[in-house]
Amino acid sequence: MKAAAFDYVRPRNVAAAVDLLAADKGQAQLLAGGQSLLPLLNLRLASPARLIDISRLPELAMTDEDDATVTLGAGVTHAMIEDRRVPDPSQGLMPHVALGLAYRAVRNRGTLGGSLALADPAAEWPAVLAALEAEIGVVGPNGRRRLSGTNFATGIYATRLAEDEIVTALRIPKLSRAARWGYAKLARKAGAFADALAVAVADPRRGYGRVVLGAANGPPLVMTEAGRALAGTRRDPEQLRRAVETDLDSAADRRFDAYQRRLHRAAAMRAIVQVIQ
Amino acid sequence: MTAIRVIVNGAEVIDNVAPRTSLGDWLREGRNLTGTHLACEHGVCGACTVLVDGEPIRACLMLAAAGEGSEVRTIEGFDADPLMMALRDAFHRRHALQCGFCTSGMLITAWDLIRRGKASSAAEIRRGLAGNICRCTGYTNIVAAIAEAATAAEGVGDGE
Amino acid sequence: MANDAGGAAAGIGASLLRREDERHLLGRGSFVPDIKLPGTMEVAFVRSPHAHARIRGIAKPAGGERRVFTAADLPRLRPIRVETQAPGAKSPPWPPLATDKVRYVGEAIAACLAPTRAEAEDLAAQITVDYEPLAAVVDAPRDMQGSRHPVHEGWSDNLFSERVFAGGDIEAAARAAEITVRREYRMNRQSGAPLEGRAVLAYRDWRLDEIVIHASTQTPHTLRVAIGEILGIDLRRLRVVAPDVGGGFGPKARLYPEEIILAALALELDQPLRWVEDRTEHLLTAAHSRDHHYQVTAYASRDGRILGIDAEIVVDAGAYGLWPQGPYQEAAMAARCLPGPYAIANYRCRALTVATNKTPMGPYRGVGRPGACFAIERTIDEVARAAGRDPVEVRMLNIVRPEQMPFTSIGGMRFDNGNYPESLRLCAELLDLPGLRSRQRRGEPDGRLIGIGFAVFAEQTAHGAAEFVARGAAIVPGFESCTARILPDGSLVLMVGIQSHGQGLETALSQIAHHELGIDPARIAVRHGDTETSAFGFGTFASRSMVMSGGAVARASRALRDKLNRIGAHLLQCDVAAVRCRDGAVRGPQGSVSIAEIAKVAHLRMDGLPPGVDPLLEAVATYEPAVGTGVFSYATHGAVVAVDPETGFVELLDFAVAEDCGTMINPMLVEGQIRGGVVQGIGTALYEEIPYDEAGQPLAGTLADYLMPGAAEMPAIKIGHLHTPAAATEYGMKGMGEGGAVGPPAAIANAVRDALSALGAEVNETPITPRRVLAAIEQARFRVGGPTG
Repeated sequence: MKAAAFDYVRPRNVAAAVDLLAADKGQAQLLAGGQSLLPLLNLRLASPARLIDISRLPELAMTDEDDATVTLGAGVTHAMIEDRRVPDPSQGLMPHVALGLAYRAVRNRGTLGGSLALADPAAEWPAVLAALEAEIGVVGPNGRRRLSGTNFATGIYATRLAEDEIVTALRIPKLSRAARWGYAKLARKAGAFADALAVAVADPRRGYGRVVLGAANGPPLVMTEAGRALAGTRRDPEQLRRAVETDLDSAADRRFDAYQRRLHRAAAMRAIVQVIQ
Repeated sequence: MTAIRVIVNGAEVIDNVAPRTSLGDWLREGRNLTGTHLACEHGVCGACTVLVDGEPIRACLMLAAAGEGSEVRTIEGFDADPLMMALRDAFHRRHALQCGFCTSGMLITAWDLIRRGKASSAAEIRRGLAGNICRCTGYTNIVAAIAEAATAAEGVGDGE
Repeated sequence: MANDAGGAAAGIGASLLRREDERHLLGRGSFVPDIKLPGTMEVAFVRSPHAHARIRGIAKPAGGERRVFTAADLPRLRPIRVETQAPGAKSPPWPPLATDKVRYVGEAIAACLAPTRAEAEDLAAQITVDYEPLAAVVDAPRDMQGSRHPVHEGWSDNLFSERVFAGGDIEAAARAAEITVRREYRMNRQSGAPLEGRAVLAYRDWRLDEIVIHASTQTPHTLRVAIGEILGIDLRRLRVVAPDVGGGFGPKARLYPEEIILAALALELDQPLRWVEDRTEHLLTAAHSRDHHYQVTAYASRDGRILGIDAEIVVDAGAYGLWPQGPYQEAAMAARCLPGPYAIANYRCRALTVATNKTPMGPYRGVGRPGACFAIERTIDEVARAAGRDPVEVRMLNIVRPEQMPFTSIGGMRFDNGNYPESLRLCAELLDLPGLRSRQRRGEPDGRLIGIGFAVFAEQTAHGAAEFVARGAAIVPGFESCTARILPDGSLVLMVGIQSHGQGLETALSQIAHHELGIDPARIAVRHGDTETSAFGFGTFASRSMVMSGGAVARASRALRDKLNRIGAHLLQCDVAAVRCRDGAVRGPQGSVSIAEIAKVAHLRMDGLPPGVDPLLEAVATYEPAVGTGVFSYATHGAVVAVDPETGFVELLDFAVAEDCGTMINPMLVEGQIRGGVVQGIGTALYEEIPYDEAGQPLAGTLADYLMPGAAEMPAIKIGHLHTPAAATEYGMKGMGEGGAVGPPAAIANAVRDALSALGAEVNETPITPRRVLAAIEQARFRVGGPTG
């Protein structure tokens, strides 16, 4: 199939993009790397009247770094993270995740901001950035604001982003050298979307522990009990296992069937084991 | 229609395209570069892989309009490239193609793997090919051919 | 990339590199969508979103005249109808564009024309069809005896056909049995999914007064026959060309509505028309395959000797029968192959082909055999388990031995020759079975469970007239043809009726001509896939092309050789009995004359011809193997898997094939076919499935849902060869194109079973998804705790 017709505009800067988006409210859609949008267009599952191409706005490709954080522009591609062409706040977690995300040809165009804004439940970045407690910078007609990466996604393809806002950058706290992370993606084929996905991060110096599930029938699922157990100093695998079960029990709204629950449990424990071993 | 100026296989092309036209369709229908094959048009199969500004991308997942100002290289644009010549030779000798429909995308993906130093073992090559489906060969010979071309490329580098 | 053909390294048995490669490596192949004709209109189809519905009306947008065509606009279109002599078989008509009813999701209703495909799709989106949805038939075993709305009017049930295959005395076997094993198996519905979908380009050639159809097909000649018949025009006015074809595997060996519709439109409109199938259309509307359901009861002695097999096979064949062979061959082939390569004396099998509101079923690499192999080989493993013996031992106990050859199985398959037990032994050796067993005992550090599984099968190939007549087939693809023409400079053109789409037949057929004539393969052209250039032939399918077309090339080459010898002897002034055609020349006791010199005489200097010899060097030959029931390749496939009992994920660690396809013309090509087939079989085993929901909606419309095997998950496939030349074919060749796809589902399922043996779990359905593995483990847990445990 071929895409239905649309107009195409390429604004010069983010401000112009915001204006265009506001002017065409509901009719226009942002085009970044297009690696999720183009399939939807080609299958005519999406048919916006206008595409606003923000894929090459220099402002969105900016990166910045200070002692405590790394800021990555929304237009940073998966391949840039994979190749460490941008600073890594995550002691190697983000490049590792990028390497297993789709395929190189997709990673060369797909962007961090696009992935977050789309909020595909099976995507990697929403879960990873929730585990890293990233902050998401957005801009709209009413100016800039920052949103928490932990609850940025609100559902399947749903976020806190307003219709006329653009994700501009991610501000990601740096993990200390003592921090450890674990990542488990269960997918039937390399590069395919995950059946289950878990990120575990522990930074003992900050007393920081997070376990987040992706592909979880909704937005990333923050496993609070498991995260708390992981933040502690005495980390007993059996206790962590119980914490994971408790978290899965309290996620009844996700309606996991037996298979999914088993896979999520396995993914979570594998990510956790990588941290504590 | 959107006006574009693109370097295609080294030559500047100025054209007007319908915004919805994919780069793949534009190359095939507009430029008659039919070596770029379309097999799924949703980014999974890899048959349409081409280089944009030196990096492999899916020609089905990029609008021709978004290619404005870029440099595009298709399978037809590698005829004098030494690494591609080595790959083609290895694919031929190793029987790494059958129907030929995935071959353009395979070759360009393999070219990029070797260039980035990501073809050091069979396992690494296999991971690097995850986004390119071949329905005919079963991959064994493709992996062998790429490994061989990678070794040859390394050998050339060492000799310099 | 010069063709590395050199003397002795180019004939039979040489791994001659392929002449096909260069154009594809350079991106200069020529597939249907690559052919550009000025003024071409693109076609998009309006397709049914319902599995089963009455069409109450079709509303076209204003200005749609001559741009939107429904059945009413193309009265020339007559229904596709498969003729069959099979007793009791029903053959419903299939209008190429739906008239009053649609019977599967994706059925074509209207063709929409525009300068670009995108605009044609825009137009298609403006057409409104008024449907009255009907309950869909989706569960073949449940609905086969009838449903509220049968798929076809006037049918009391939903059966295309029902046959019983029987031999021996199954009741006696049941009485004598010390072990009885009952199992249900399912090989689910899938797509053939060649990387290139279907494509058609049709136009009128006024000069030649013909309609030219470029189609991505495996069978150009029979396609022409069918289109001529349906449109009611002389075949002289139809030319079908299959240029480069991006994979076929069976689904492209059938006539499709789109091919007829584009030909009809080309008659109607004075401009070229093109339809290029997209991936979703392919997954929805190109022939589906497999979808077998089995109930098998095996009776065996205490030591595992099989006394009899009692089975029922239900094939869900979808809504219509594809021309020419209809929906019948899957179930029949499965029923005849179910007894496998084993000496089993008693058999009963009821084989039912069921109409459902799904995409029509067609051939796909292996036709019927992968399902049958899955069912019997899984059963053998369970018999072995019940007998407390190793599955390899129980196979050895039951398998047909070399000294029993030729052997007609209880399924009616006449195995011609070979050493079946040796293939099993060799396959076990390739995998290092003893090493694997000790690794298995040690256990894996990561907690995964290792399993080893085997599957043995014999594969009927290159079957001729006898086989197809017995099937009640409407057309009998029992021969192939070759026109061999030496040109005035001594180069050779072979014009053949088959169609090569990846198999390397351009290379392999030139090797045969080289063997007979000594002409350098670099000076031989092979022309195929075009009704204009070759004599009639049936095309490439059923593992037949090397045996059949290769046989025809051999015969035509020999006819040319005789004439070359006569002219050569005359030029050398010696007796024809004293000359030999060798290395590109006719050689006499004193001196030689090259084929080029003889060719010059035969065309440009006829004054040099001997008396009574006509000019030209051209021969037309046909070939049918001496045995019409096929020659049997056979193989053992062995799989090693690691199953993660926590997640159900299966990793394929190793795979080996020990096979015998008689004389190999080009071993490199043979191994390429095996590996490609095996990976398709792995796809069936682990990944590929088109599920339908209760309303008859297919649930895999993109490659994100329809998983195909990728390089990262595939092992390097080991191959071992045995060599038993066939007696009934040229050079002892046997067909081998399909076998690779036959064994993997069975071998992998047995390996998974072996891995899960301690848990008592088995997966008897493909694809073996993590979800199914975990469900099997759960089920076994309950069973172990239950009364039968």
